[in-house]
Amino acid sequence: MWRFLAEAGAVFTKDLRTEFRTRVALNALGLFAITTLAAVSYTIGPYRIAENDRPFLLAALLWIVIFFAAMAGLDRTFVKEEDTHTAPLLRLSAEPLVVWAGKLLFNFVLLDVLMAILVPLYMVLMGFRVASTAGFLLVLVAGGYTLAVTTTMVAAIIARAMTRGALFSVLSLPLLLPLLIFLIQGTRAAVEGSAEGISDSLRAVVSLGGVMTVVSVVLFPVVWNE
Amino acid sequence: MGTVLRWVLFVWMAVIIWAAFYYAPAASGFQGQSSRIVFFHVPTAWVATLAFLVSCIASIRYLRSRDPKEDIRASVAGALGLTFAILATVTGSIFARIMWGSYWNWDPRETSITFLLLIYAAYFALRAAIADPERRATMSAVYAILAFVTVPFLVFVVPRIYWSLHPDTIINTQGRIKMDSRMFQVLMGSLVGFTGVFSWLYSLECRVEGIRRRRQHEVL
Amino acid sequence: MSGGVRLEFDDLAKRFDLRVVFRAVSGAAEPGEVLAITGPNGSGKSTLLTILCGLLRATRGTVRYLLSDGGAEIPRELWRKQLGIVAPSMSLYENLDALENLRFLALVRGMRQSEARCRECLESVGLDPARSTIVRGFSTGMHQRLKIAQAILHDPPVLFLDEPGSNLDPAGQDWLEELVADQREHGKTVVLATNDRREMEWGTRRVALPG
Repeated sequence: MWRFLAEAGAVFTKDLRTEFRTRVALNALGLFAITTLAAVSYTIGPYRIAENDRPFLLAALLWIVIFFAAMAGLDRTFVKEEDTHTAPLLRLSAEPLVVWAGKLLFNFVLLDVLMAILVPLYMVLMGFRVASTAGFLLVLVAGGYTLAVTTTMVAAIIARAMTRGALFSVLSLPLLLPLLIFLIQGTRAAVEGSAEGISDSLRAVVSLGGVMTVVSVVLFPVVWNE
Repeated sequence: MGTVLRWVLFVWMAVIIWAAFYYAPAASGFQGQSSRIVFFHVPTAWVATLAFLVSCIASIRYLRSRDPKEDIRASVAGALGLTFAILATVTGSIFARIMWGSYWNWDPRETSITFLLLIYAAYFALRAAIADPERRATMSAVYAILAFVTVPFLVFVVPRIYWSLHPDTIINTQGRIKMDSRMFQVLMGSLVGFTGVFSWLYSLECRVEGIRRRRQHEVL
Repeated sequence: MSGGVRLEFDDLAKRFDLRVVFRAVSGAAEPGEVLAITGPNGSGKSTLLTILCGLLRATRGTVRYLLSDGGAEIPRELWRKQLGIVAPSMSLYENLDALENLRFLALVRGMRQSEARCRECLESVGLDPARSTIVRGFSTGMHQRLKIAQAILHDPPVLFLDEPGSNLDPAGQDWLEELVADQREHGKTVVLATNDRREMEWGTRRVALPG
């Protein structure tokens, strides 16, 4: 058990160190998010949406920005290993699930950093306020995890295919559609302060995340070793 | 499929088509004869879903046995599923236009069929992007399974929160079939017929694809 | 890792869509010996090596890893623990330094207390002075030597070498010859894919790919 964590931690640290020295993924995600946010804020701003439409529309816009930013950068951790030809040695050195866990953690952290910068900015620029902060945070974290676990699998699948960038989005979108719906509903419930809405959404997101995790544990080694 | 069975299917479908227009009555509450589209729309949606199930089962079996025949089954079922999903979307959209004046409304059933379409499209995009046959088979099988586990969430969890435009919530407010008995007969007959058509096309395509691949392998 | 590992492959064929790379290739590699795989460019030497180390599946045929004492077969999932490989298509992490690369690989390979071993390997390939240099700044010769260092890091019973002498200066090639001899002495199984006449001489057995 400790062995596994140590090895997965090594994969995570290695990716983190490489990313820190080049900052490519963070730049891609960050740039995309900030640009989209600027566009949305400029054209729509805090005042142009009618008061009773605000919870739903602002929730939807927030998650759309996060999702598109995710599409811009979350496949990188696998694609880069293939492009720089470091994947074969990694395959021969590490247990598949160690690689999975390490890269999942990396994607999750990357998303969290993105959200930590994006969400406050969004709140300021769009006049987005939540009644239930705790609920909102839970939705963000659970949503981030489920988003990370799903995109990690898809990234592993497309890493050795052609036309990777477009393929990553095309494959991820159907899988992420239900999640997107749950997260928008949960965020809207957080804005309105509806505990029932938040718990409904969290149940769906967490169970989806759980199912994806189990399926990943079974199928990632197959994809990685192919 | 044996010759006799094929003829039976042909006759069956001919009867169903006639019955859809002449035997079953037009449902009340619908514009003119437009309700008749249900005899074609519902079965195509059903077949699209059935094809997805077949594709997923074949995918799981491929991953266990690595038998190329299973990959053929998965991709053939997928192609048929895509065709029927497009048909279902188009027939549904036409109906929506007639009944409610707009081609698309994002009610849960419409969302589900779109979802299915997106999955099929993604599945084939993935297959097209991988050159190596074994890797193509493996990756698409994994993706099919991933999509499969997401379906229950979309189909069951999402609609609980949304209202639906779909007629059966108007026809079956108590969740029971409240359809005219003749309409019901024709609908069931049509379901059987379309399933038969799918079955026939599926076995035919699997054979054709099998021959195509064998011919390629002869190079080796 | 004591005891040798014997490698056997039978009737291997590989096809990529419509292009056949090779067909009906068979051979075996014994502990203490060097199996040389030769053939013109494009004959599939590197592909064969990739299949033998388990990274690629053959279209047809079998590959087996057997323990030389007892003859028990090693399952495919465990092959990677038995082997080290040096290949042009397999690189190390450009943004890490030499020591970080080895440390990482040692850790994920399950080696405990590996710091000393990493330093030892770096020294044996002559890269210890450059251990804190980011690999991106390496010359091609240094790259090659680091690849060799990672291949022997975990002391595997089977060593795959794909054109190992390329990018090495004559002194490096001499050193490589000594390394191969040393591996043989310690009962390791060496599989060498090469076009180089000198390297071909090191082979005790040969498999020639027609190409």
